[in-house]
Formats: sequence, C-alpha cells, structure tokens
Amino acid sequence: MKLAAYPAFTATAFQSRLAYRNQVWSGVFGELVFMFARIAIWTSVFSTVASSSVDGVTLPQMITYALLAGPVLYWDYSRLLRDIGTAVKSGDIAVYLLKPLLYPAYMLASHIGNFLFDLLTVTVPVAIIIAFTVGLVPPASLFHGFAFLAFWFLSFAMLFLLTAILGLAAFWLMTADSLDWFFNSIMTLLAGGIVPLWFFPGWLAAIAGNLPFAWVSYYPAAIYIGQLDPAQVLTAFVVGLLWFAVLLGFLLWIWARARHRLIVQGG
Amino acid sequence: MAIISASSVEKVFRQPKRQAGFGGAIRSLFSREFTEIRAVDGISFAIEPGEAVGYLGPNGAGKSTMIKMMTGILVPSSGTVEVLGREPHSHRITNAAEIGVVFGQRSQLWWDLPVRDSFELNRHIYDIPAPRFADNLARLTAMLDMAFYIDRPVRQLSLGQRMRAEIAMALLHDPKILFLDEPTIGLDVVAKDTVRKFLAEVNRERGTTIILTTHDLVDIEEICPRLIMVDDGKLLFDGELKHLRTALGSRRRLKLEFGTDPGPITLKTAALVTDEGAAKHFLLESEQTSILDVLTELGSGHDLKDVKLEEPDIEEVIRTFYRNKAQTGAAP
Ligand SMILES: Nc1ncnc2c1ncn2[C@@H]1O[C@H](COP(=O)(O)OP(=O)(O)O)[C@@H](O)[C@H]1O
Ligand SMILES: [Mg+2]
Repeated sequence: MKLAAYPAFTATAFQSRLAYRNQVWSGVFGELVFMFARIAIWTSVFSTVASSSVDGVTLPQMITYALLAGPVLYWDYSRLLRDIGTAVKSGDIAVYLLKPLLYPAYMLASHIGNFLFDLLTVTVPVAIIIAFTVGLVPPASLFHGFAFLAFWFLSFAMLFLLTAILGLAAFWLMTADSLDWFFNSIMTLLAGGIVPLWFFPGWLAAIAGNLPFAWVSYYPAAIYIGQLDPAQVLTAFVVGLLWFAVLLGFLLWIWARARHRLIVQGG
Repeated sequence: MAIISASSVEKVFRQPKRQAGFGGAIRSLFSREFTEIRAVDGISFAIEPGEAVGYLGPNGAGKSTMIKMMTGILVPSSGTVEVLGREPHSHRITNAAEIGVVFGQRSQLWWDLPVRDSFELNRHIYDIPAPRFADNLARLTAMLDMAFYIDRPVRQLSLGQRMRAEIAMALLHDPKILFLDEPTIGLDVVAKDTVRKFLAEVNRERGTTIILTTHDLVDIEEICPRLIMVDDGKLLFDGELKHLRTALGSRRRLKLEFGTDPGPITLKTAALVTDEGAAKHFLLESEQTSILDVLTELGSGHDLKDVKLEEPDIEEVIRTFYRNKAQTGAAP
C-alpha cells in the first residue's frame, strides 16, 4: 500500500476545486444568507421572552451555536455523496479497483481535500464576517475549547462515514438523489443543525442525543458554548467513539459487499 | 511460462427479470427470477511474455468481460484465469501494480486537472521512483506528441488527445502487461494511426505484453501478430492473422488470362468460378496449393499471358462469416 498516494489525493481534490474557484463567491453568499436568516429568527425568538436567556443560553451564544452547527460542522458533504453515486451508477467505480489502492481510503483523502478547500474559502470567511458584524462568543472555557476541537474531529469523521455509507448504498438502491434528500432532512433534524436538541421534547431529545447524527453538529457546538459539563463531555466523547467504531465497521462491511457485488455481478 | 492463461473460462451474468411499469418494478424487487447471460463461454488460451494479441469480436461478444476478468475486477463463474502466475481478483492490489489498463470508454484521467497532474498522481499511486518517472514521462510525451497539451485540463482535450494521455498514463509505471479495451473506438483516422504505431512500438521496443480488444481489424493488422476471435462468448479462432482465412474456410482466388480463349478448362487444384473466355477465375482448393501446382497441372501449350493471385480481404472474410452465421444460426 502506497501511503504517500493518499495525501496526493487530498491535494488533487483541493486543486480540482480551484478550477471552479469562481463558485466560491456563491458558496460564501449562500452561507451568509442562511446565517443571517437564522440570526433574524433567533433574535425574534429572544425578543419575545422577558429574560436575556432561553434555557440558559444567551442570544450571542445561540448565534455562535448556529454558526458552528451549520456552516462549520454540517458543511457541504453532498459532493462526496454525489461523487460516489455517480461512480457507482456509471460503473466508473471499477476504475478504482484497477489501481493498487483502497477505495474508502481514497474517498476519505479526497473528502479531506474538499473539506480544507471549503474551510478556507467558505467557512472561515463566513465566520469572520459574522464575528465582525454580529459578534461571536469565545468557547465557554479552555476545557470546552479543546473539547470542541476533539469533537470537531469526531464530527468530521461521522459525517464522512454516514455519507460514504449512504453513497455506497447506491449499489443496491440506484437512487442516490432521493437518498440525498431524505438524508438531508433526517440530518437537519437529528443533528441539531437548525434547532439544538435542548429545545426538543424530552423523548425526542433522548433519542436524537444517542444517534450518531448528534455528533455531527449538536455535541461539538453545544460543548463550545458550555451546555455540557466536563463529565457529560467525557461521556459524550466515549459514546461518540463507539459510534465511530460501529460506523467504520459498517462502512468497511458495506464496501466489502459492494466490491463483491462488483466483481461477481459486474456492477 | 505463459504470462496470461485462461482455461475453460466462463462468465454468466444473472440479471433479475424486469417487468414493465411501476407495479412491475416493485414486483421485480422481490422476484427471484433471473435471465442468464453467458458472456464468456468456455474460453481457453495462453499468452507468452512479449506477445501482442488482438481480441476481436462484434459488440456483445464478451471482450470487455474477458478483459475485466484478466484485470481482476470480475471473477469468472467457472474456469481459471492466471495473470503473472496469480489469480487476478484475489491478488487485486499486487496484480494492479504490475499491469496497465486502458478502457476506451472510461477515463482514468482527472477531468478538471491538467494531464500532467493526473500523471503526477499516478507516480504516487504506483510509487514510481522520481528519475524513472521523469524518464518515462519524457519518452511518452515525445512518442505520443503530448507536449503541447500536457498542461491543459483534460476536459479541454479532443478524444484523440485524451486517449493518447490515457495510454501514456497506463504505461508510466512500466507495467509488464498492457490491457486495452477498444482503445481506438471513436478516434479519427490520424489518431487511430498514432495509437496503433505507438502500441506496436511499445510492444516491439520495450517488450510489453499487449492485449487489446477491438472490433476493427486494422488494429490487429498493425499491432498484433496474433489474433483471438470470439463471438457469442465462444472462441472462434486463435492464431496468426494470416491463417484466419483458412480457418474460416475462405479460399484464394486465381485469375488466369490467355491470349486466345483456350476453351473450357477443368483442374483438380482449382475450381473454375467464372469463365470470361480469355480470362478465367478459379478458387484454389486448399491453402497448400501453390500457383506452381496449378500451372503444372494446366501444362504448357496454352497461350497464358498473365497470372494473378488474390488474397481474400480479411475484413470481407469475417463479414461473410458473421453473415453466414446469422443466416444459418450456427458457425460453419
Ligand atoms: N454487468 C453485467 N450484467 C449483465 N450482463 C452483462 C454485464 N456486463 C456485460 N453483460 C452482457 O454480456 C455480454 C458481453 O458483454 P461485453 O463483454 O461487454 O461485450 P463486448 O465488450 O464484446 O462488446 C453482453 O450481452 C452484455 O450485455
Ligand atoms: Mg466492450
């Protein structure tokens, strides 16, 4: 296995995005519109209550949560989903089998390239613009700050695993497009990307809080603004790692099934 | 030692029977009914290192299926395929490192990047030492005349330019075997010619074993001394191109021209097909028959002015062969 090939894929994915760098502006603009819409919503929600905080969260904290849970953590994973779906449907996925490399590792490497590109060209600029126009809060504490970084890592991994699994499901379902839509709805609700789990009814929050989606947006963002105490952070991290292991196992399993299908049925 | 061997290879695809309409689509989800397609049907051959073999057959003959089995991305339903002494699909990664593959209808280049970047990526994938990579790149760029477009994004290239780049990319890591599935499909005459000359040269100069599928006979005439011909998944012919005629039972034509009409002539070595009086057309009875045999039998005393032997056009032979088969429903 040529390990050096994988960073090269990351660089290549990044470079490929440069070819479409004029799309960056629409990306930034889209995310800004989205953010300002949310800021308007939260501002009006907070203006209807007498106190300066709702469920112990202030408006600036809520805006910070919205930025983290949205553009920062729940970034544009659909490219990966589309790439896998297209490769499966067109049969181009066989081309990857012709090379001495592991397809899931290749997917991850190019996903990282796309992530870095979006981070530099969309996420960071949007965060800076929001910080200077509306204002953002710093992490609740040094501990919460570092915990956020660890959870960000986990969030990236979870989003990758969920997307890759879904993408490979195209082998059996052949309809990655409707899946994308379905997945997006589920994710938006259960990841806490728009409404944090603490606003959910108790039973739904309990369910959503234990599903892997919550590690994509909810936990990292909630930890950043200090909604979880250190003990809860640790528990969430351990459960998150367990989900990570389960999903990783599932991805490798589904890829083995897909590969088997590919070499026996030819697609 | 054969570098590639196939023995009694079969590939049967099972496709779920599809019914029409939405209800049918739902029903076929649960149905266990399958149609079987026998894409490769009991094929055996052995290829020695350094050979260039053309795998010829009409559309749907099972050529791509065979290439996929040799490159390890498809498993045979029965029989065995060995490439470089290994079963390709169970040693996919090791096998992949030692072969080069070009699919005429699938690109392996990165669409949005300059050709050079795709090459560079292959350097990492195949772990090619930098000096060897530089050497190969320079040589391939010159041979395939790629210098003027190597820094252009792949999406801006013509099909001919892209195909040259695909072939170069498959050779950068000095594979022992180069597999090409319809490398000339859709190319114009000039591009076809460049590709053919190049492949013949790679085979001759570097000793790279080449297997290429095609339905264009010229590819084989110019690149491959050996021809494997398939149809309907079955092997029809394996041997040198020049022996194909005999194998398919088509005979050479002999034209004898006389100063004056010698009257009817019957010979044992050649059968008269058209008699124009002073010009007579014969079909030679066997591949072993030489003109001398015919002339000896004819004897002297005729006012013979000219003798012309016509090799049947291979393209024509194959066309006739397929046509006969379609009419009679069976191979002759
Ligand atoms: N993955 C597959 N599933 C079902 N049938 C297939 C598959 N691949 C090829 N076939 C069928 O097998 C036969 C041979 O196909 P192929 O090897 O692509 O032919 P060729 O390359 O000679 O045109 C065709 O009838 C084709 O429809
Ligand atoms: Mg084909």
